[in-house]
Amino acid sequence: MKLIYSELKKFLPNLNVDPQQLRDDLTMIGHFTNYFEQIDGEIVFDLDIKVNRGDCLGYYGLARDLAVFYNLNLKAEISPLDKGEMSEGQTGLPNLPIKIETNNVKRIMAVKISGLKNFTSPQWLKTFITCHGNHPINLIVDLTNYIMFMYGIPSHAFDIRKSGEHLIWQMNPGFSEFTSLDGSVLKLNQDILMINNIDKALSLSFWGGEACAIDNSTTDIIIEIAIYNPTTIRQNSRNLKTVTEAGIRLEKYLDPETIPIAFNALTNLILENCHGQISSQLFDFYPKKINLPQIEFNPNQPSEVSGINIPQDFATNCLTKLGCSFPALSREGSGKGLVVPPSIRTDISLEADLVEEVIRFWGYNQIPTNQPLSQKNLDDITPKEIYLIDQLKDKLVELGYDEVLTWPLVTDPINPQTVIKTQNSINSEAIYLRQSLIPSLRQQLDQYTRFKLPNPQFFEIGKIFSQAGDKYIEKNALGIYHYNASVLRRDVLQNVSTDKSAIKFTNNFAEIILDNLPQPEKYIPKPIQNNAYELTSQIITLDANIVLDKPQKPTSLIEKYSQTIGDQYLWEIIITDIYHDTKTNKYRYTFRVSYFNTDDKTAKELHLKSFNLK
Amino acid sequence: MDQTLEKIKSDCLSKIESIKTASELENLRIKIFGRNGKINQLFSEIKNVAPENRRQFGADLNQLKTELEEKLNDKKVLKSDQLTPAKSAGESDQLTSSIFGLPKVGHLHPVTQTERQLNEVFRKLGFSVYNSSEIVTDEFNFERLNVPQEHPARDMQDSIYIKEPEYLLRTQTSTIEAYLLAQKSKNLPLRAAFAGSTFRNEKVNRSNHFVFHQYQAVVVDKGITMKDLIGTMNLMFKTLYGKDVVVRYRCKYYPEVEPGVGPDMQCFSCHGKGCPLCKYAGWIEMGGSGMIHPKVLQIAGINPNIWSGFAFGMGLDRWTMAQKNIKDIRTLMGGNLAYKPNEL
Repeated sequence: MKLIYSELKKFLPNLNVDPQQLRDDLTMIGHFTNYFEQIDGEIVFDLDIKVNRGDCLGYYGLARDLAVFYNLNLKAEISPLDKGEMSEGQTGLPNLPIKIETNNVKRIMAVKISGLKNFTSPQWLKTFITCHGNHPINLIVDLTNYIMFMYGIPSHAFDIRKSGEHLIWQMNPGFSEFTSLDGSVLKLNQDILMINNIDKALSLSFWGGEACAIDNSTTDIIIEIAIYNPTTIRQNSRNLKTVTEAGIRLEKYLDPETIPIAFNALTNLILENCHGQISSQLFDFYPKKINLPQIEFNPNQPSEVSGINIPQDFATNCLTKLGCSFPALSREGSGKGLVVPPSIRTDISLEADLVEEVIRFWGYNQIPTNQPLSQKNLDDITPKEIYLIDQLKDKLVELGYDEVLTWPLVTDPINPQTVIKTQNSINSEAIYLRQSLIPSLRQQLDQYTRFKLPNPQFFEIGKIFSQAGDKYIEKNALGIYHYNASVLRRDVLQNVSTDKSAIKFTNNFAEIILDNLPQPEKYIPKPIQNNAYELTSQIITLDANIVLDKPQKPTSLIEKYSQTIGDQYLWEIIITDIYHDTKTNKYRYTFRVSYFNTDDKTAKELHLKSFNLK
Repeated sequence: MDQTLEKIKSDCLSKIESIKTASELENLRIKIFGRNGKINQLFSEIKNVAPENRRQFGADLNQLKTELEEKLNDKKVLKSDQLTPAKSAGESDQLTSSIFGLPKVGHLHPVTQTERQLNEVFRKLGFSVYNSSEIVTDEFNFERLNVPQEHPARDMQDSIYIKEPEYLLRTQTSTIEAYLLAQKSKNLPLRAAFAGSTFRNEKVNRSNHFVFHQYQAVVVDKGITMKDLIGTMNLMFKTLYGKDVVVRYRCKYYPEVEPGVGPDMQCFSCHGKGCPLCKYAGWIEMGGSGMIHPKVLQIAGINPNIWSGFAFGMGLDRWTMAQKNIKDIRTLMGGNLAYKPNEL
């Protein structure tokens, strides 16, 4: 969500905060603000609005929060309409012949405006629309979008020449296709909420249609602002795989009581900028007025929850500024009162919600950070298998094995009768839950082979899965690989389990289900910290001979040349051969050195230099 | 294994067995693995294999290659054949291996290392370590975490289903919390920490994966406050990232907590000024937390008027990648993550 500083000030005329400060404050009260930038002379913020705050997908909702935080007066109507212009029952004006044939509509306000002139939008409006990531179209359309961004509720205009006045809000009566404003053709099913006339599909609830599009010759329009059942909008949007700014808002819980302010502002802006006059009665369909919750609230509760002292009158004043009302004390002497949140705050329904409001405006940064929980002796509920897993990992690391993690979803099943298949995985190589660790470890081995990693030995402890009838079964398993099958066998039988029947050996792999192993009563693992490297190229292995007059300890030589070569590219250094030439009484040592994350040329240069072979 | 490959394997193994000298070893290595060697020839012949058999042939060939490499590596020669006197009758034909190197050191995966570091912090505070199943029900993954069927928060998580709508792979470690609260509701207070794999239906690429690792901690007791939560999180961050780490705690929405708290760490690259690493925010989001929502407690059979609690969770993968200078998330699982054999 974009926020233009100068436009925000239309709701908060006395706002006088440095943009950096505003960014930080918005973030701290719950509207994470990534950054701000200058666009066409405007300071524009980029905000991340959470799904529970549909009201903050409009400047109005954000301004309400900031009015509380900065203790400013909020100007709710940015373009108020003279109330005489539009009052129900005004004589001489006809009713709009609109029908509502679905119970997915929570509220609609609509009116006809005639004798308009449509223009290209003025620069301020073009800049506004562009800063919000949209393209300016024409003045009427841009004003409807402007109101959507300002109040967080989408609005729409129909060109009456194309749509007629007989608009019907209904679930799709049987239209197979719909062409949107940008020319996209969508296939429709019957569960789509639409606005039509008797002949044509005019508009989806969240996307205008080409059939009634406003253009520069439009003179008579019906404008409407509506809120629907958000579940239906979300389903429609998902089914049609379409995301629009209107849809993003309509699929949240929006406030029907905000519609009149937004509608008045839209009407006035159109009359002022496009001229024309209102030529119908106001249409206001609001079948079921919202029922606001009455929440029992203890003004001391924010202190109890936060752990710091927040004065009770701060709590009360804060909620008052938010627009809450206080109808009564709930019980005599209880210290609690009833609080009714403002209708725009569809996310407030419990005391905990009110408590959060008070604490966030008091400031989370007032809560000390240096008082953690104190230690407490409680029953140990750690499953013994967790101790076993840590114990096995430590044993295998001690034996020189490296831990790997592999994909739990695989391409092919081992046993199609018992495999568990995912229904909707979008990765074609990750369809089935693995039934064994060995295929995944084999792929890991392939990967190491591609990188020419010498002498790999590694293990994984992870879940394997199977299905028996309706039951899904998960077990922890240990999978191990060693380049030397005999060493593998020895390591497993001496250190993991002596029960050969519980171990599946396959060439250089072994797998054991952990159910088959005894579990320790308790095991606290060792604090192991080691490096790991992302290989970016094949390991390059080179040999070198050095000849010495006297024998030296191989490990000393290895350490010496390790230091000479340096850590950056050295993977491993071993001595593969020691030969004593009895004729010359010289000792020849053959080194095998592996280099990593470098190219052939660099490896060779370093190798030749380190062993003085140039 | 393919029969042709079996025959080649048997032939090579027998030749390896008969090797006596280093030069014979080297010559055989070249014949098998050289540029014009047997293995490369076989790889170039894959195109002649019937399409339906190519995959298996390729897998068998890789297996053969690996086995032969291992056999050759195991075969070491002590002395040069040019300088070795001919064996006289009675001398042993057995070759001995003589490789000198620093001891092979084993290593833990970086994700496990971070889990253990965190477990250690929490064990000292009396936490147990917990876990539960990865195949979960909609009830425990969503409903019990205050995310009913039509809640917009469901859109925050694309789920991988086993049997829609009831069974799926858990999308968050909060699911473990839901199971824990249900199982232990009559045994309060409780403190538990848990790490786990979690799944989202994402396309695997350089920066996204369908499986990732999270860590979570939960406390339920009498009189638990946000001060406890923030203080404990701060202790954890300082243990992991050093005492000079700067963390802020802001209001953040999650359906399963109220109030919700979002910890952010000051970007270690730009120290809050804004840079590409932190996407110019100056801060890096470090997971989410909050006071357990009263509805979450109630549905678990815990009276929120008596008991309160907090929960926090964080992802382990991105931090691990930053620590180890790993650029591609695929490296962490089944990728090219490796360890120097002799480095601690």
